[in-house]
Amino acid sequence: MMARRSVLIIAVLLLAVIGLAPMVVMFARSITVDGGLSLEFYRNLMASDRPWRLLGNSLTLASLVALLSTLLGVSLGIVLGKTDIPLRRLFTLLFTLPLLIPSYITALSWADVLGGSGLASHFVSAAWIKTASALLFGLPGCVLVLASTFMPVVMLATMIYLRTINPRLEEAARLVSRPSGVLRAITIPLIRPGIVLAATLVFLLALGDFGVPTFLRVDVFPTESFTQFSAFYNFGAATAAAVPLAILTIAVLGGEQLFLRHRTDELRPASGGDDLPRLRLGRGKPLVVIAVAVLCLVIVVIPLIALLVQSGSAGAYIRALHTVGDSLVRSLVLAAVGATALTILGFFVGYLIHTRALAVWRAVDAWTVLLFALPSTVIGIGLIALWNRPATNLIYATPLMILLGYLAQYTALTSRATVAGLALVPASMEEAAAVTGAGWVRRVILIVVPLVRRTLMGGWLIAYIFCLRDTGITMLVYPPGYDTLPVRILTLMANGAPDLIAAASVLMIVATVVPLAILALILGKQRRSR
Amino acid sequence: MTVIEFNSVSKTYQGKVVLEDFTLVVEAGERVVILGPSGCGKTTVLRLLAGFIAPDSGSVSIAGQLVAAEGKIIQPPERRNLGMVFQDMALWPHLTVEGNLEFGLKAQHVVKSERQRRITGMLALVQMDAYRRARPPELSGGQQQRIALARALILQPRVLLMDEALSSLDEELNQHLRKELLLLHGQLGFTLIYVTHDHVEAHDIGTQIVCMRKGRIERIGTASGVMPRGADTLGADAAK
Repeated sequence: MMARRSVLIIAVLLLAVIGLAPMVVMFARSITVDGGLSLEFYRNLMASDRPWRLLGNSLTLASLVALLSTLLGVSLGIVLGKTDIPLRRLFTLLFTLPLLIPSYITALSWADVLGGSGLASHFVSAAWIKTASALLFGLPGCVLVLASTFMPVVMLATMIYLRTINPRLEEAARLVSRPSGVLRAITIPLIRPGIVLAATLVFLLALGDFGVPTFLRVDVFPTESFTQFSAFYNFGAATAAAVPLAILTIAVLGGEQLFLRHRTDELRPASGGDDLPRLRLGRGKPLVVIAVAVLCLVIVVIPLIALLVQSGSAGAYIRALHTVGDSLVRSLVLAAVGATALTILGFFVGYLIHTRALAVWRAVDAWTVLLFALPSTVIGIGLIALWNRPATNLIYATPLMILLGYLAQYTALTSRATVAGLALVPASMEEAAAVTGAGWVRRVILIVVPLVRRTLMGGWLIAYIFCLRDTGITMLVYPPGYDTLPVRILTLMANGAPDLIAAASVLMIVATVVPLAILALILGKQRRSR
Repeated sequence: MTVIEFNSVSKTYQGKVVLEDFTLVVEAGERVVILGPSGCGKTTVLRLLAGFIAPDSGSVSIAGQLVAAEGKIIQPPERRNLGMVFQDMALWPHLTVEGNLEFGLKAQHVVKSERQRRITGMLALVQMDAYRRARPPELSGGQQQRIALARALILQPRVLLMDEALSSLDEELNQHLRKELLLLHGQLGFTLIYVTHDHVEAHDIGTQIVCMRKGRIERIGTASGVMPRGADTLGADAAK
């Protein structure tokens, strides 16, 4: 018991130092001028109408992205998760792809389609391209890119929550109603809390994104912090600009906790979901397949093809490897180390949440979710506020800052994955080991970890992808000479050759997709051998 | 008059034969109990009848009409005029008691005034008038069972299917609801297909008992003929 308590307390303390302290210090810095309490930074921030306009833009953008993502994501989630549509897994993988890569790369690929000399310019008139380009570089384009990036969150959530429904509930309705009626009146209302939760997450992710709005020239609030910090090095103003976003995120998540948490907790993924009966599309199948394929082509495949076309020749890739090779290696190493650290910390945090072994379990859970939902600029500014001082320069001047950023923002991914895995393991498994006299450490290593091994592997992979695609935190905290590939591409986008940028982006996508494919192969092999 | 006819039906699931050469004829108004141990294929019989799955071979007819045959569902579940009470009740938790009862009536385009009249009548019949606005999770096991029964009967089905529907209740409540079920059967005259592994339940409810084992019918006959009260041999056999 003592060992368990000690390890879990250490995990909580680590999380407090990595995730809580930066936020507290950042807030303190935003209300301090020359060592005294002052609201000067906030007064300056609110002196003009600019922050309000930016906040309005951010809220409009996030709301439209959440709406479009939800409409598309729920529809696709139902078609791919509930019906007998062919090529389900391929479609799911393709639609998920934009979520796996940095969002600004998707924006870049769209620019390669609709830009002045883009892919579409070979097929349509110059006037059409001009109009499309004007739409892309503005709010409509920003909504399109961010919706295609975050739509998979709603789609995957819908697919997962569909698997939580007791099939008998739908069968009971099938006795008196057609499948469409069952879907409308029973299935969708049952998973509605999960859908709303996913839509909330999309809203927050879109609210915090600054790469895409910056590239597509839409003024939003997250850029304010970044600009104040990087352009003017006005740290107080940067922290003050970060606080409204933090408050907004806390308010939205607070609402989620109040109204949805107890309902979504009831929706737990069931094992063996692949065996669930699927709705037959019947005569409408060709039409549905065509609709899904066209959507996939438009929002995923064509932008990728444009990127490949833009990258042009093998020469561009050789130049790209030469130019960004060191960043690529750093990205891979940092993502792998970050994912491993996240898996370890996430396991203990998840174990704490699952077993409720410490009284603070609920606060820890809420805090990790809040950190995940916070805009990355807010976390980055917080980390700088805490660590940028002579006493801690040993940490601040090293890539450890990037790892701390990963741990601060992404622990919820691995802790929630652990909770989901542990929920499927009967408590009696660990109890049986305890009865034999095995200590807690031994039980965890020999019983619990092997039983949730697959979930941990999945968690590691998700963490790896998020670390690899991270731009916001890394952009703010990386020490000189330690930039990662997403940061290097973003820098190149200011003045680099288009084919070089496209080739570097393709390398980034390959680095993301290859581990996914390897893991899919390993898991597939394991499943076949069972 | 024959209401249900299984004609040499077989069903395989994930390489395992769960039903083999199953033939059964049920007359209108009968109370047929399908008795057998877990995994003997009795629930598969109900699911075939409801139209949730299709037979690999053989055919199923309801009221003289072919509803499924040779791997195909010819008539979908909603057009078979069946009611079903599931083992876990399957009450929709997001709807009130009234909503649960109203769902089928709405799907059948019954007008609002008639819907209200039938819901009131059915709730009175199962003595649950006071719980019209309650949600299923607020009800006790016995109350949920009554609502599940009311939901299944409100569309006046020609056949009521019950899948181990009383097995999760304690003995006293089980016995009480068995009596109520027989009373409702007497009043409404539906045909009952009742699946159970409990020989006492089978004896009390069935006018005809079908004993199954390993996907096949082992014995079939009247309750008193196949399984005289007090003689537990069949129950013991079935439980093997």
